[in-house]
Amino acid sequence: MENRDQKQRNPILRFLSSRGVGQVVIIAFVLVGLCLFFNTQNANFLGKRNIANLLRQIAPYIIIGIGQGYVLITANIDLSIGSVVGMNCMTIATLMCNGMHPIPALLVGMACCIAVGILNGELVARCKLPPFVATLGTQTICRGIAQMVNNNMNTDSIDGSAFSAAAKTLRDVFYYGKIAGIYNTFWIALLLWLVFNFLLAYTRTGRHLYAVGSNAEASKLSGVNVSRTIVKAYLVSCFCAGITGIIVCAQSGTGTMNAGTGYETFAVAASVIGGISTMGGTGILSGVLVGAGVWAVMDNGLQLMNTSVGLKNVVVGSIVIVSVLIDVVVRSGNLGFITGKVFGKRKAA
Amino acid sequence: MDDYIVRLDGICKSFPGVKALDQVRFRLKAGEVMALLGENGAGKSTLMKILSGIYTKDSGSMTIFGQPIEALTPKRSQELGIAIIHQELNMCRHLTVAENMFLGREKHNGILLSQKAMNEEAARILKSLDIDLDPTTPVGSLQVSKQQMVEIAKALSTNARILIMDEPTSALTSKEIEELFRIIHRLRDEGKGIVYISHRLEELQHIVDRVTILRDGQFILEADFDKISMSEIIANMVGREIKEKFPRVHCEKGKKILEVRNLNAGRMVRDVSFESYEGEILGFAGLMGAGRTETTRAIFGVDPKQSGQIFIDGKEVRITGPADAIRHGLVLAPEDRKKDGLCVKLSIRSNIELPNLDIACNNLGVVRRGLVSEMVAKAKAAFDIRMPNDQVNAGSLSGGNQQKVVVAKWLARESRVVIFDEPTRGIDVAAKVEIYHLMNRLKKQGISVIFVSSEMPEVLGIADRIIVMCDGRITGEMMIQDATQEKILELATRFENKLSIA
Repeated sequence: MENRDQKQRNPILRFLSSRGVGQVVIIAFVLVGLCLFFNTQNANFLGKRNIANLLRQIAPYIIIGIGQGYVLITANIDLSIGSVVGMNCMTIATLMCNGMHPIPALLVGMACCIAVGILNGELVARCKLPPFVATLGTQTICRGIAQMVNNNMNTDSIDGSAFSAAAKTLRDVFYYGKIAGIYNTFWIALLLWLVFNFLLAYTRTGRHLYAVGSNAEASKLSGVNVSRTIVKAYLVSCFCAGITGIIVCAQSGTGTMNAGTGYETFAVAASVIGGISTMGGTGILSGVLVGAGVWAVMDNGLQLMNTSVGLKNVVVGSIVIVSVLIDVVVRSGNLGFITGKVFGKRKAA
Repeated sequence: MDDYIVRLDGICKSFPGVKALDQVRFRLKAGEVMALLGENGAGKSTLMKILSGIYTKDSGSMTIFGQPIEALTPKRSQELGIAIIHQELNMCRHLTVAENMFLGREKHNGILLSQKAMNEEAARILKSLDIDLDPTTPVGSLQVSKQQMVEIAKALSTNARILIMDEPTSALTSKEIEELFRIIHRLRDEGKGIVYISHRLEELQHIVDRVTILRDGQFILEADFDKISMSEIIANMVGREIKEKFPRVHCEKGKKILEVRNLNAGRMVRDVSFESYEGEILGFAGLMGAGRTETTRAIFGVDPKQSGQIFIDGKEVRITGPADAIRHGLVLAPEDRKKDGLCVKLSIRSNIELPNLDIACNNLGVVRRGLVSEMVAKAKAAFDIRMPNDQVNAGSLSGGNQQKVVVAKWLARESRVVIFDEPTRGIDVAAKVEIYHLMNRLKKQGISVIFVSSEMPEVLGIADRIIVMCDGRITGEMMIQDATQEKILELATRFENKLSIA
């Protein structure tokens, strides 16, 4: 009891224990450690060029992580993210190859993504479907749409489309261009992060997202529109997936039907490593930054070490489990039980 | 014009299959505490949920602050100045005190939340209620009683003039209850109308001005509290005189069944030794947090034991998990029905079947449906469990009936020792008496009954022998003839002198 009181009085400890800030700090240290480790293995790792590449690699994970983070905070999950990435990639590429200017093509593609987000939200919030099932359904539907839009074929390169100059600009803006030595992709991710972090941390909508995830019933009885809040979370999720779809399309220059496969799990991993609980109500968006960072650094670093893809998957999977385990142990106070045992023995002795 | 701030007339509400409220009337004045009484399922909570806009009425008229009201939503009712504190505390445990207090009506300047303004306002309200709490503490780290204070502070921050409290004391200790009553008195003196729902009739005298009694969804009476006797209140609640509030049966004390020696399990179970006999109800008294629940859990094998021996019928038994305990004929009806006692999403039938699958299955492990039906029928008849059929979710039953199912599932077995942990919490007078009868019946069958309860009158009324615990230790034991409330309380507060340890 006294311990807890002290914890509440000490502002630093309280800051660390609030909303999973502690885990973000721990993972940030892990991230720095990983970078230093990979640098000892390969001196190019922290080289200017690799850093630029690394940041560009992190960017899509951050973006989809933001979306998944929003949904997880409301104690739901979005499994449709990967398919929405693929759907948007295919939709915009197909439209451009069929002679549409990139700007309206992007608008149409993003509108489709937002529609999927609203559908997900309505299914979960108003039709009361379990989020796992509802978004598994839309996942399959969106992948199907990705395959259908160009008659079950990947598209040709958008460089050869009617507006080839505009297509080139598109690819530069979203992938190949640089500002201040850093690829635009990262700037886009950072911008999105700033906007959505602001919404989550400082606005009513953000507060309601946490409240709904923490206790939907209590929120409803306090006058929070629970359904609308959940729809907003899914909307953000699919919006972020759509942006990622554009980035994937800009990178390859073609629409690929299986683009984004498995991204929903990457997104869960990025959020969860960064301390956003799948049980809802807790976590901060900074967690997505470090979570996505760990993921991409492992990806990039192990690649530079020429290790197999298999090993990378095993290691990253283990990180996901360990980071959640730490969280569970700390939260349940099992750690306290262990320390209590130690103190008890001391007293007896 | 009269001075009623709430007038409800002819309120009707039906749920599929049940008429929950039938032509109910209700009146509330400013500056009074109105007790709303009735058995479980009498419609108290439903009526209050209509008043607070959570349910909509089927028919009837509502006048609040002299204003006729047709449709109410939670938001509209909040604007009218009605606040409800629910029986099961409804807080977002991840959010802070201030965040919970302002949930749904956050202060903001267009876009940005005014975090600081909310914290200051929350601190001001808490201070005005003399509640010592930091508004930036996460609610999940507070004790239940403090959470309750936050609920009250939240209600007041909406400038509520009508405050509804549904069973506010069920999870509080006596000291915390005093604290709550102090706040209620103060709010009443400020001219707020308070509706107070409680099953603990003995606490009414401290705070209540008038009572309204409902029974089976109907209005029975409204009276000034000082013009009505407690027995009249009870009679009107149950519709019949309860002759024996604590029925007692006498039977010969038999041989020793259970013996616990020097049991240690964590901080809350320290060197506990006792024995229990056939045909006896052994009461465990004490304050909340005295370690009684922890003791029953350790004996039943839920929590690990550090040391100690357990003997059943003179033979030492090793209990490392509940399955061992059940095999040796030792069963537990746990404290928290919804969490530990029942699978609320399973049917009543499955709940009764679950602990008895070993005897209900044939040699191939296939459940013998006939046998299970028999068990369920037997349980239903023996306990008078009121249920539409045995396929409905256990969670949909009323509190009293849930408790009966928790006990009923053990009845099919040949048990030697049955432990009841707070079996009467949150259930009404009539259902309590049924639980007492049940314990008496087990006692007559020669079973050793262990009865843990924080309500002293019922321990004194039912147990044959009483053990008192305080702070994880047994501080005293007495036969019922020698027991008084004062003695028990004295033993229950015999805390160790902390300084002498160090």
